[in-house]
Amino acid sequence: MSRSANISSRTNRTIIRLLYLLSSIFYLLCAHSAHAARIGDISETTLWDQALRFFTFQDPSVRYALLGSMLLGISCGLLGSFLVVRKMALVGDALSHAVLPGVALGFLWNMSKDPVAIFIGATLAGLLGAGAVHLIKQTTRLKEDTALGLVLASFFAVGICMVTMIQRLPTGNKSGIDKFLFGQAAAIGASDVKLMAIVTGLAVVVIFAFYKEFLVTSFDAAFARAAGFPAQLIHYTLMLLLAFAVVIALQAVGVVLVSAMLITPAAAAYLLTDRMHRMLLLASLFGMFAGALGAFLSFLGNNLPTGPFMVLAATAVFGMAFFFGPRHGIVARWWRQRSRSARTQRENTLKSIYQVLEGREFQGEGASLRELAERRRETLEEVAQQAAALRAHGLATLHDDGNHVFLTPEGWQRACAIVRNHRLWELYLTHEARLAADHVHEDAEKIEHVLGEETVRELERRLAFAKTDPHGRAIPGLADAQRGTAPGPRDDLVGFGKRP
Amino acid sequence: MADAPPLEIHDLTVAYHKKPVLWGVDLVVPPGKLVGIVGPNGAGKSTLIKAAMGLLPVSSGWVKVFGESVAKNFRRVGYVPQRESVDWDFPVSVMDVVLMGRYGKLGLLKRPTKDDHDKARECLDKVKMLPYANRQISNLSGGQQQRVFLARALAQESELYFMDEPFAGVDAATESAIIALLHELRAAGKTLLVVHHDLPTARNYFDMLLLLNMRVVAFGPTEEVFNYETLQKTYGGRLTILSEVAEAVRVKG
Amino acid sequence: MNELIPAFSFQRVFVEPWTQPGGGFIWIALMGFFVTAACGLVGNYLILRRMALVGDAISHSVLPGIVIAFLLAKSRNSMAMFVGALAAGGLTTVIIETIHKRSRVKQDAAIGIAFTSLFALGVILISLFASKVDLDQECVLYGEIAFVPLEEIVRIGGLGLGPLPVVRMAAVTLVVALLVILFYKELLVSSFDPALAVSLGINSSLVHYGLMAMLSVVVVSAFEAVGAILVVAMLILPGATASLLSQRLPLMLGLTVLHAALSAVLGLHLGVWLNCSIAGAMVVAGTGLFCLVWVAGLFKWYAVRSSNRVVGNKSGGGVSDLLNSST
Repeated sequence: MSRSANISSRTNRTIIRLLYLLSSIFYLLCAHSAHAARIGDISETTLWDQALRFFTFQDPSVRYALLGSMLLGISCGLLGSFLVVRKMALVGDALSHAVLPGVALGFLWNMSKDPVAIFIGATLAGLLGAGAVHLIKQTTRLKEDTALGLVLASFFAVGICMVTMIQRLPTGNKSGIDKFLFGQAAAIGASDVKLMAIVTGLAVVVIFAFYKEFLVTSFDAAFARAAGFPAQLIHYTLMLLLAFAVVIALQAVGVVLVSAMLITPAAAAYLLTDRMHRMLLLASLFGMFAGALGAFLSFLGNNLPTGPFMVLAATAVFGMAFFFGPRHGIVARWWRQRSRSARTQRENTLKSIYQVLEGREFQGEGASLRELAERRRETLEEVAQQAAALRAHGLATLHDDGNHVFLTPEGWQRACAIVRNHRLWELYLTHEARLAADHVHEDAEKIEHVLGEETVRELERRLAFAKTDPHGRAIPGLADAQRGTAPGPRDDLVGFGKRP
Repeated sequence: MADAPPLEIHDLTVAYHKKPVLWGVDLVVPPGKLVGIVGPNGAGKSTLIKAAMGLLPVSSGWVKVFGESVAKNFRRVGYVPQRESVDWDFPVSVMDVVLMGRYGKLGLLKRPTKDDHDKARECLDKVKMLPYANRQISNLSGGQQQRVFLARALAQESELYFMDEPFAGVDAATESAIIALLHELRAAGKTLLVVHHDLPTARNYFDMLLLLNMRVVAFGPTEEVFNYETLQKTYGGRLTILSEVAEAVRVKG
Repeated sequence: MNELIPAFSFQRVFVEPWTQPGGGFIWIALMGFFVTAACGLVGNYLILRRMALVGDAISHSVLPGIVIAFLLAKSRNSMAMFVGALAAGGLTTVIIETIHKRSRVKQDAAIGIAFTSLFALGVILISLFASKVDLDQECVLYGEIAFVPLEEIVRIGGLGLGPLPVVRMAAVTLVVALLVILFYKELLVSSFDPALAVSLGINSSLVHYGLMAMLSVVVVSAFEAVGAILVVAMLILPGATASLLSQRLPLMLGLTVLHAALSAVLGLHLGVWLNCSIAGAMVVAGTGLFCLVWVAGLFKWYAVRSSNRVVGNKSGGGVSDLLNSST
């Protein structure tokens, strides 16, 4: 036990160190933003004052910014989940760049930041972009990726031309249209929040109401169509909702980075769960969290763009899921693999002890480290380590200053089981697969560790409960495993698992 | 129209990018038969069943299912797509997939009821996958995935089934389980069209065979159709002239 | 509205740029041409390899590399910028591969996560160190091609060659063109059929990483002039237009260069007329060219489709009709 505790404390230390590193990066950023705040317009406020201002929610603009950021996180997370499972992540990217000319047009409508005009213009531009991608794919040889990149960049260029033209106008400079590029949560007003709430509500209601249609067309479009679902219509509904989500997120996240709010929280959720409804829930939670954190961080420093902070917050969530996710996380998988290989190692040691005993025809007690080292063709130090691992797991006891290994009852049973697996598999390969006896050992070395109880029973049945393996050695049976006990050094019983 | 055949296809022609894949297919499938669709690679086997279900635009001809267009009768049609056609990492459980078979009957805004769950469980039990009901689908072997698809089709409770290569890449146990299931469905009066790639087993598995190579080479009871001449026609070199002409049409068109 | 779109004057839009003393606009046009040509040549292979969006990703994600290089070198040191951009480009590729291979997240989402994160990091660095970096957010988006003529003139032996960015870009374009010619066959085979390339003894992954390195270098040298996002258009537009016109690679490469020249000159005039971002206008001009070619092709596509439909409408036609229509 102490060994695994040792390992886990080591992992814990690594995790703590990582967390420490992350938090120091965070503080570094904060310190710098504090610096930026000090050299910014409001030169008097400190980081602490800003944070206080944020959390007391006195300021209506803070309330709007926070509420808006969380709303956009919800709608982006919900719709982004469908993008990720439909493998359309980059469609979101293209769509979000394509809205820029629509934003400029909406702005020109009455030369102000009228949320409704911009909403309509941007949605139309986004849908036009999606339509253009579809049309290019349909009518030319160009592949999807090229069509996406083409539409993304051309629409964006048109938008840039219009934005620079607007900025040149006498009124244009103060208009704040440049805030649509990288996002400024502080620019969110009461009417923006209202619009965001309506759109997010709409997305939630539509997805809830048509959940089964969205699910079946996303999973298996051909089947859905055969079962009478209007897959095309559902696809367009999804694109429309997506355009809505992108457009309400523009103000806070900016045209350039909206796609990250669609993809990253959803991908993090995808790593953590195996059910679509849970993925939707997690993704909108993550989006909400990233939105709020991004709004907070950008608020700390004056004039910092919000979008990039939200995106990095979302990336941090994804990183956590990627490394520390309980099932699919890198650390969890590494840990599983590590404990598996440690188990394999222990089982191999047990097998060697069994073979040492078998070599003496089960006379005498336990195995000395020297015998074990000869058997395994390893150094005494290595074998001593393996013996210690066995002891740590309660499979063996050590005597004579650790020079003699005695198996515990459990250790003996495990040793019998593993030898049995090995020899049964060898026999099976020579019998059923007609492999030569000298070809089967390598394979059995791997298989012996993974054979389940049921498979072993099946093998026994197929081999008619054979007693000896292809090399003529006895296969230890269930009875051997049960009969055998591990005597202490002063125990008078001679040997264990002795064959009659 | 109680007597209308489950599937009637008249002069069906389907083209991809100006290149015809199916030419003038005529077919009337009698009820209660297990029909195998056999032919070489690229013969249009999958295209035929997809076009029959209205999943592909057709250049000419028509398809009737129980005497009506398939759009009106989709509830009487069940479909088992190729296993590779979906993403098995998709975040759904085995149960969720089988429940999808019930979706078509539910109508808008309705959720699966307890009856639907019971039905899905019953179908899973028929393919011996009930113990896996709550597993995520990526943790299944190929044969198990195929059985989940079959259970979903069973849950559809259709009268006419289209199955696209249900035997591809499955273990022997699953193969015999599937064939037993198909026989059971036939005994219940269902009509089944199964795309199959393995000639030797085709002879034993199916009541009727459709030999296809861009057009219908032969269609009839297995013992009548399964002979050297028709197989030579289906798989042999005689039809290369057709594909040459098709190529010429494509280049000129 | 009148304020928005300035009155069109032939003299101002088409004549003055070329007759203006100092020849500033000529350098802008040349810069535009070199950027588009170099990007277009690399972009052709991205399109062929279905990696157009990897180009998108790399062009965004070199930003933090450039900014960090700025901060460390404390000047516009082009060498440091190249190194920074290459490192960032390499990092992007590694991150995408890691996410894609080590988890069940698919490649498209992995691309989306990697480049947005790095780009966000770059923008934050720029905002935090705005006073120390000679860069601003707008420059990141659409560059400062209009300032190109104001840069110091490179002189070799007293002979003025041209502004530094133009000379540098010309050199990069030349190197890219040379590489494309020298490794024509390797690039072609490994793009078309990686397995065949291996059997011919061509190291496909070496070609891949070489192409990625070339992409990073092109993107970073174009960065000052056109920013990080418009460059995506310059990577994809010329190749896409060329591939609509021809299916043979040598001709496509030639058409790419032609498209680059046309869009640079037309874009310059458009930008002068509308008084907007010239880099943006060059992309709009390139888009216009693409649309022209596309619409022309559309007529043909439509004609073919309607002839197909005639076949479909004739009842009882089927095989014989298809045969008839071909004759």
